[in-house]
Amino acid sequence: MSNADVLLMAHLMRRAGFGANKGELDKLVKNGYDKTVDYMLDNDPNIPVSEYMIRRYQPDYGASLGSTTNGANWMYRMIWSDFPLREKVALFWHGIFATGYAKLANGKVLHDQIKMLLKHGLGNYQNLLVELSRDPAMIIWLDNCESHKGAINENYGRELLELFSMGTGNYTEEDIKEASRAFTGWTIANSDYMTLKCQRDSVWPYGRLSMHFEYNPDDHDEEEKTFLGETGNFNGEDIIKIICEQKATAKFISRHLYSFFVADEPPVPEWPYKEPNDPEAIEMLSKVYFDSGYNIKEMLRFLFKSDFFKSEDVWNKRVKSPVELVAGTLRLTKEFNRPSRDQYFTTLNAQYMGQWMMSPPSVEGWHWGTEWLDSGTLVERVNFSSSSLGNKDNIGVKEIINNIKSSLDSPIDSEKLVDASLEQLGALSTSENTRSILIDYADSNLDSSEEINDEEIAELLKFVGAMPEYQRS
Amino acid sequence: MSDKNNRSLVVVQLSGGNDAMNTIVPYNNGIYHDSRSSIHLTEDEIIDIDGSLGFHPEMLQIKNLWDERKVSIINGIGYPSPNRSHFRSMDIWHTAESESIAPDGWLGRTIREIDPEHKNVVTGVNFGRGLPRSLQCRGVPVASVGNLDTYGLMTDIQGSENRDYALSFFSRLYGPHLGRDVILEALGENGINAMIGADILSSANEKYSSSIEYSDTPISNNLKDIAKVIFADVGTKIYYAQHGSFDTHAGELVNHAKLWKDLSVGLGDFFDDLKEHDKEDDVAVLLFSEFGRRIEDNGSGTDHGSGGVSFVMGGSVKGGFYGEQPSLELSEQVEGDMKYNNDFRSTYATLLDQWLEIDPVPILGANYEQHDLFRKG
Amino acid sequence: MTTISSKIKYKNTMGLAAMQGRGFYYPMDLAFDSSEKIYVLGRGHDGDPRGCRIVVMDMNEEYYGTFGSFGNENGQFIWPSCIAVNSKDNLFISDEATNKITVMSKEGNYISSFGEFGSGNGQFDGPNGLAFDHDDNLYVVDHRNGRVQVFDEDGKFIRKFGKPGDLSGELNLPWGITIDSKNNLYIADWGNHRIQEFSNDGDFIKSIGSYGKKDTDLIHPSDVAVDLKGNVFVTDWGNHRFKAFNQNGDLIYSTRGEATLSKWAHDFLNTNIEEKEARSKSKLVFELPGFDKDPHEESSHVEKYFWSPTSITFYKGEIIIVDSNRHRLPVYLVS
Repeated sequence: MSNADVLLMAHLMRRAGFGANKGELDKLVKNGYDKTVDYMLDNDPNIPVSEYMIRRYQPDYGASLGSTTNGANWMYRMIWSDFPLREKVALFWHGIFATGYAKLANGKVLHDQIKMLLKHGLGNYQNLLVELSRDPAMIIWLDNCESHKGAINENYGRELLELFSMGTGNYTEEDIKEASRAFTGWTIANSDYMTLKCQRDSVWPYGRLSMHFEYNPDDHDEEEKTFLGETGNFNGEDIIKIICEQKATAKFISRHLYSFFVADEPPVPEWPYKEPNDPEAIEMLSKVYFDSGYNIKEMLRFLFKSDFFKSEDVWNKRVKSPVELVAGTLRLTKEFNRPSRDQYFTTLNAQYMGQWMMSPPSVEGWHWGTEWLDSGTLVERVNFSSSSLGNKDNIGVKEIINNIKSSLDSPIDSEKLVDASLEQLGALSTSENTRSILIDYADSNLDSSEEINDEEIAELLKFVGAMPEYQRS
Repeated sequence: MSDKNNRSLVVVQLSGGNDAMNTIVPYNNGIYHDSRSSIHLTEDEIIDIDGSLGFHPEMLQIKNLWDERKVSIINGIGYPSPNRSHFRSMDIWHTAESESIAPDGWLGRTIREIDPEHKNVVTGVNFGRGLPRSLQCRGVPVASVGNLDTYGLMTDIQGSENRDYALSFFSRLYGPHLGRDVILEALGENGINAMIGADILSSANEKYSSSIEYSDTPISNNLKDIAKVIFADVGTKIYYAQHGSFDTHAGELVNHAKLWKDLSVGLGDFFDDLKEHDKEDDVAVLLFSEFGRRIEDNGSGTDHGSGGVSFVMGGSVKGGFYGEQPSLELSEQVEGDMKYNNDFRSTYATLLDQWLEIDPVPILGANYEQHDLFRKG
Repeated sequence: MTTISSKIKYKNTMGLAAMQGRGFYYPMDLAFDSSEKIYVLGRGHDGDPRGCRIVVMDMNEEYYGTFGSFGNENGQFIWPSCIAVNSKDNLFISDEATNKITVMSKEGNYISSFGEFGSGNGQFDGPNGLAFDHDDNLYVVDHRNGRVQVFDEDGKFIRKFGKPGDLSGELNLPWGITIDSKNNLYIADWGNHRIQEFSNDGDFIKSIGSYGKKDTDLIHPSDVAVDLKGNVFVTDWGNHRFKAFNQNGDLIYSTRGEATLSKWAHDFLNTNIEEKEARSKSKLVFELPGFDKDPHEESSHVEKYFWSPTSITFYKGEIIIVDSNRHRLPVYLVS
């Protein structure tokens, strides 16, 4: 197996998952790149610890009275799933369909939305938008339960077009109104009581209640509507069908996929004014969108197998989001192999770095790319990855240290030690400058007269966790 | 009044919804006694202010500051259409936007206004892990300090010599030659800034000396850390700390008393410390909570309500009552709560305009009538 | 719901969701003392441990106070799991995070503790269910070690039985335990989806249930209780049901729950009138629209259903269930 194959597989696993260590990469390379892509897309992931186990020890992970245990539950899946592509795709959609705790005050309903994204996120986009429009958290978040026949609330209609499908500049204010009319009657059961409980943050008398969609035909506007040039007595499904037929939608989704899985694009609000970094790639993805009948899985299959994805030009051209950084690090350290109280507090680190799962800052979701980085959050990021990777008591770190030792001939020299460490942590690439600084550090830290010990390797791993390259994906 | 350049604002968030009625107590109001059959405070217990209102019995140190005319009490503070969810209401106070979900916090915007080019990485410092929304703003760096004694980069490296040595490598890793693309540029700049920030803050810790002995409670520890940074003169304008939980659905008499005792003792020591370092006139402290609580108790506590009380304290503050004490008459209540009579953004506007001397309108999105909170001249 | 026996009837519900004062937050287990006071052990949750405590009440929902808290000090808990009271009215509380059994007086004063992590005698890997036999010996379900350990009243190890596995007499992450009038033991063998009965010496006698969603099946049972006639009552945690079997192991009762408002719940709604009004206009029971037939999901939607019941107690003709995710105690009458 060539080194180039390993490096490419490492790139794929960082993007389609949360990274992989050297042993995992070697196995995947043996299976082959295309087969790995197909396997991840076509099979259900294997998660070795059941939801029953989590609920037994951490009941709130399933019932979600709080605002953070739902995210910690999701983090378990991210670190336990053998191929966490589903989780990655749900995280992608969560960033776009950003729904937050502040207005819901119900972690269970938000977690239910993530489960919906896990189930439908790789499927047909038209179907996904229908599911999203029926999602109780979304219905409250964007006030569709307050939109009535003859008295529409435009919030959902607007964001459906602006943030979830087409982007600004491709429809009129009139289209927003007409779309909103078509979604009247799409509400949740007991909406008055449920919204009151949200507003009052009420867990009384007996905990929070899950919510479910309800279509109220009496409150649905049955008059004719004109939307994007088409006229008819449209219901919500018809609006979504028309939306999905638009070139703007194909481009918008393609650009989002590219930005999340290939390389950071400019922030979304700039899209109407700035062409994509790689217009050809967006063209090709748009074509797959239509050819496959809006199938996200096929778009991703094409994307991962494309030259523009495999190109070294886009390797490490993304900043890891806090959730990616935490999940990726915990997959390496393997410190949580069963439900654990510490896992809750470790997951909070993503929040300290600026990404509170299921509590995005606004309807626009998080701003990705270099906006994750400031001097405050970088302290959290560096301290977290450095202390986790440098803790030799973690099972995964122990394995990595043993693999480093067994891959080295004695006498140990610092250069080989640094290269082996970068290799075992997942074929990480660094600049020559970073590598030489790590070698200097190893030099000054190694006691050449003795056999290398675990502590010395762990000290070096702390620096690998602290290096700028570790913050990239 | 103090020199504008030396002034700073300390915001203490009372998380969970402080019971305004048992903080500034309308102790001889019959409706208060009737509706608080289980948890009312009596005339014997409270610290009288003016014959009709009194401080909670544990607010002794705050009462002393009041007597020195350094405490303004803003009664009846709130916003239209009160929301009684902790998260949403706190979000409204954090973003200063009550109608829609806003992307950033009012103090984050303030820091951006004060230091648009990020010349000082410690213009805003939060004490606690994770930034509250009020301090979040795109592109605005704010340090979050759990504990000043241990704050810094790569803190799990033991021993100061080892750490200094390690940090010298860290600074090489994030050195100026890093930038080859936008990501590396951003990493390089922020990495170095993080080191500078950590250096500044740890030097503040080392320089500190005081005769005041703070008690060992979380809020006192935070106030002491804030004092250390104030005395180091590193240009910090906004400090933030949280205290709670004020969500006193049950056992309110005991829990609420403990919360105010810890805060009052902490603030007493903090102001003594400021006095000792001749900084009393340079600091304004804002205490706020996301909402007040129900007028009627539930047997042993109170449920979520509206209409709260805020405080602004400091040597330059013009002590007294602001806003109005809301009427408890049934006809004046909002769904069983006290009705607000002054918008919290008026207090924000006052602090921005009269204290920090920056234009409140771009930060708050509108012009709000101001209080007359500060001494002139 | 399948009701086979008319001898079991729903009576009422006690409790309220609350982290302080009257109520519980993720209650796990309860125990009675000799004066009929109930000690309800709450877990709280990782994000907010205030619910980690013991609440004292009685069957009339009289509230007597609360003690115990989250922490590492004596008399504090991290992941408290089960509680039992001996004949001297001392409380024994198991903590599956610290691997300790804490002994407290019924007034809440710390007396002693024993246990540490390990698999030797007197060591635990996740102590859960607790029960006393007629001689005040304490039986501790040591769940990840797949065994039961027996201690005298001073916490001195006496003996042990059981080993991990799925054969008869073996245990897979067992949880609750009870002791009947003949000193026989019944254990909720959580991982094997069955209740097992053992003699006092630890010899296997019989087993009830196997994995499945039918009324006669069990999924991850959490606890078991037995009445004087040998009827066996089970909290079918994974099916979110309360089930009863006769001494031959035949199903005699099964219900998803019919919880009603407790006294404390009424008090809450009476001081929060808008909620009371909105609630009264709501349809809280409805046709379940799917949820992949997952009973955990269904129970999350329908308030009156059991949602992860963790403990069941037979006391003077009544069955008291700890309905953990709903923070309440439904009560059934057995005649």
